[in-house]
Amino acid sequence: MELGPIWRAILRNKSSYALIALQIAVTMAIMVNAIAIIQERATQMARPSGTDEDNIITLTSVAFVPDADMRTMIDEDLALLRGMPGVRDAIATNSFPLRSGGWSMSLSTEPGPNSDGIGTAIYFSDEHAIETFGTNLVAGENFAADEITWNNREVSTWPATGILTRALAEELFPEETGSLVGKTVFINENDPVKIVGIVDRLQAPWNGWERVENSMLVPSRRDGEFQRYVIRTEPGMRDEMIPRIEAALAANKDRIIENVRSMTEVRERSYTGDSAMITMLTFIVSLLTVITGLGIVGLASFSVSRRTRQIGVRRALGATRPEIMRYFMIENFLISSVGIITGGILAVALNIYMVQEFALTPLAWYVVPIAMVILWLVGQAAVAGPARRASGISPSIATRSI
Amino acid sequence: MLQMNNVSKIYRTDTVETHALREFSLKVEEGEFVSVTGPSGSGKTTFLNIAGLLEDLSSGTYELDGRDISKLNDRERSKVRNEKIGFIFQSFNLIPELNIFDNVDVPLRYRGFKAPERRKRIEESLELVGLASRLEHMPAQLSGGQQQRVAIARALAGEPRFLLADEPTGNLDTNMADSVMDLLGEINSTGTTIIMVTHELTLATRANRNIFVRDGSVSDGPGDLQLAAVAG
Amino acid sequence: MFRYYLRLGILSIRANPALSALMVAAIGIGIGACMTIVTIQYIMSGNPIPEKSDQLFHVRVDSWDPAEPYDEPNEPPEQLTYLDATALHAAGRANRQVISFLSSRVVQPAGEDSKPFQTQSRATTADFFAMFNVPFAHGSGWDKSADDTQERVVVIGQALNEQLFGGENSVGELLTLSGEPYRIVGVLDEWSPVPLFYDLNNNEYNDPAALFLPFSVAVAGEHGSAGNTNCWKPIEDGGVEAFRNSECIWIQMWAELPGEAEKAAYLQFLDAYVEEQKLVGRFPRPLNNRLDNVEEWMDINEVVDEDVSVLLGLAILFLIVCLLNTVGLLLAKVMKRTKDISLRRALGASKATLFAQYIVEASMIGLAGGVLGIGLTWLGLRGIENLFSIFEFVQKLVVMDWVMVLAAVALAIVSALAAALYPTWRACSVTPAAQLRIQ
Repeated sequence: MELGPIWRAILRNKSSYALIALQIAVTMAIMVNAIAIIQERATQMARPSGTDEDNIITLTSVAFVPDADMRTMIDEDLALLRGMPGVRDAIATNSFPLRSGGWSMSLSTEPGPNSDGIGTAIYFSDEHAIETFGTNLVAGENFAADEITWNNREVSTWPATGILTRALAEELFPEETGSLVGKTVFINENDPVKIVGIVDRLQAPWNGWERVENSMLVPSRRDGEFQRYVIRTEPGMRDEMIPRIEAALAANKDRIIENVRSMTEVRERSYTGDSAMITMLTFIVSLLTVITGLGIVGLASFSVSRRTRQIGVRRALGATRPEIMRYFMIENFLISSVGIITGGILAVALNIYMVQEFALTPLAWYVVPIAMVILWLVGQAAVAGPARRASGISPSIATRSI
Repeated sequence: MLQMNNVSKIYRTDTVETHALREFSLKVEEGEFVSVTGPSGSGKTTFLNIAGLLEDLSSGTYELDGRDISKLNDRERSKVRNEKIGFIFQSFNLIPELNIFDNVDVPLRYRGFKAPERRKRIEESLELVGLASRLEHMPAQLSGGQQQRVAIARALAGEPRFLLADEPTGNLDTNMADSVMDLLGEINSTGTTIIMVTHELTLATRANRNIFVRDGSVSDGPGDLQLAAVAG
Repeated sequence: MFRYYLRLGILSIRANPALSALMVAAIGIGIGACMTIVTIQYIMSGNPIPEKSDQLFHVRVDSWDPAEPYDEPNEPPEQLTYLDATALHAAGRANRQVISFLSSRVVQPAGEDSKPFQTQSRATTADFFAMFNVPFAHGSGWDKSADDTQERVVVIGQALNEQLFGGENSVGELLTLSGEPYRIVGVLDEWSPVPLFYDLNNNEYNDPAALFLPFSVAVAGEHGSAGNTNCWKPIEDGGVEAFRNSECIWIQMWAELPGEAEKAAYLQFLDAYVEEQKLVGRFPRPLNNRLDNVEEWMDINEVVDEDVSVLLGLAILFLIVCLLNTVGLLLAKVMKRTKDISLRRALGASKATLFAQYIVEASMIGLAGGVLGIGLTWLGLRGIENLFSIFEFVQKLVVMDWVMVLAAVALAIVSALAAALYPTWRACSVTPAAQLRIQ
């Protein structure tokens, strides 16, 4: 309606309006990039680990008696655990998804030393691993009980079979369209490993690793003094099983049981940094929006009180209350738009910088318009109060002598 | 044209009631030029505010152009002000951040005219007050007399049925005051009704009728005498 | 005059209480957000051993894969193989040298009802304590002879001594670790360098290990490394012996070199060692040995978390928004007061006095914002502590010292003055007469 005169009036008072616009622009830049980071972290946190997280308990067993017979101890522990009512299955392994510590190796499709191997996490375990983790075998078959071997800390002999995650298998054989079961890959440069099965998903222990979806189950157990037990309970029984399992394992005094944690807790620990980042950024953005909003309220109030007479004159000249209100809303919209458009450019520039400097995922296109709409609404909401007050100014102000 | 019957205006604070107008009655015919005079605090400004629909009245009736004003809501009152009344204020009341063109444009925007129509009216009315060449100037760049002319142009641009002038020359020196008064006279001669509130009796003589207000009522005070003298 | 300005400032602040509160809040919140992150960054990047950080050098030799560098663009591995670590240590060419790795032991306290527990141990050599200025409450470190004879001696940390011996002098007591008896030779005083500069490969904000025992003892007892082990070449068959002779890296080494000359000489020694090894078929990569002092090594390892840098950047922008906010509000205040200002000008106030008046007012707002900012920084740090509550080390990162308190106040006042500059200039350029005319 009256964009032209409003815009020209804004230009008469550039500096104070430019300050709001700039404030909105920087707010926009922060908001967009914070949302981008939040989104990136939330996406990472939402990735499934490939395990039945709600029903899994993990713990560490540390043997401390010199020359303990680890193999017997592990077998006895597993027999005990698997026999407990409420336990669905259990394994001893070197690590598990989200643990943030583990073993990685490089796999190649050709033998011999070469540098283009593909990294994967290794889980040493037995034929109970698939059932215990709760992942799904999508091709091939599980290990047979008699295939399982023992290995020492250095793992000098690699078993000849392995079960791979689908992501790993597809990365190894990107061209292959048929079944990958039966293919051979090489570990430790020259040791052949036949793919006997493929599971749909089982994450590596490091959630920040670029190859986090790559892992391989190996039919061998290590007999070192550190053992990690993964125990899957019957649905809903996890919490009540924790004390029972601790009590059952406490009978053996040759080792200590530590870090008894549900998989949910393991996940929380694993993603503490990310969830803290999300909380902090959300907090910063909300606070910032409130401050910018309050700043707009403050400046608009000033603007209204400075223009009291002018508003009275406008009313005298025939402006209705809604028209006065609309004047301030439109004025704010114009200033906000300048800030928001500048802010959009600033946000993209900042994002490009952060992508280079901190290896962030580039911003999704729709974040910018979302932030724009948010800031427009914040501006309109902030100015509504002062604008309403302005519309209440009596036209008789116009005849009052100064 | 304008008819007030027994209009009262009472300002209330917690403890005090002030009767700014009491039982005020006045009839103004189409095409008249009426001056309203009176001492400070007599109720002149209150009369002006009520006549100009800037304030509500407490009791009585007010008919403007045959319509009972007291029954109108804010939107309708705004529309009446916009279409039927032109205001000329003592302190000009130009909007400082708008140039001359945009200042005259203000009431036309609220009127809802299309752009070409607005431009035509603005140029014509500024032509009439002799400021057609100053469209791009800001109010602060003009003298007081020129500012008041702009204000008159703004009042006339909507072709109102009557003009309400509030001490139109109060902030002007004598020369400028005379030229502004001449202009008002010309406007009246084209058939526009004018009501002018002033405390200067000499200005009142320019009108063809004077109303003297005292203590919020029309009085038979010196106004009529003055006017009689002039007529004589 | 100053007191008059103070009074005018207070009057002006009182005249617009909501607005003044908004300005103080904006500055306070901006400072709070900024200083929370700055504090963490300050602690993370602090120099943990300022008295000799330029004399302590982390040792790297490039024993890695001929096909690709350990890390782009051409970084040698951050740890050493067993072969190289022991050979370089035995050569003893630096004033002091230390090789070490992180492991863990199960502590079995004496007495029937006390439960055994696992704790971190550092396998290291005799020079460790003197080299890193480790303070002792009782006893001392062990002799070099203990390294040679694989003597089972142990130095324990303050907290562990508190837990096991109630803080008494436990030197000479026997302590059972994973089934083997060790003699306590020293008890540390309180000691917790942040970051844990001598081991940046594991969590650099962890406490030091509670147990320090001879490297030779740990190797003989096959204590597994709790840190990373990386190999580029397959390990030959042959168990532990083969692993020790492998190209796997898992041991950290530091050398104390008091001056440039010593550093140059040591680098020469490393180069000569590598050349010699090349003759027996090891070290396939070009010569690429490095000595980095503590601060260089912290930089290379990027001890300041990337998230902290991102947050710091955003917090600074946040402060800028808060300041723009304040500039806008101050400017609006000035514009509303132009009449008052031009009256003062007409009554004889010079630009300088007006300037002083506004700067005093802005400083008061800045000071109030700073005080609020300190409080909010404290709250912010508590918030972060809470977010990371499952990690004990976070408590070391959320401590506000007096440097940070002063920094907060200084930043607040500087910010407020910066924010006041433009509005004050605008106020000073109001002409005495113009605003007195009727508009």
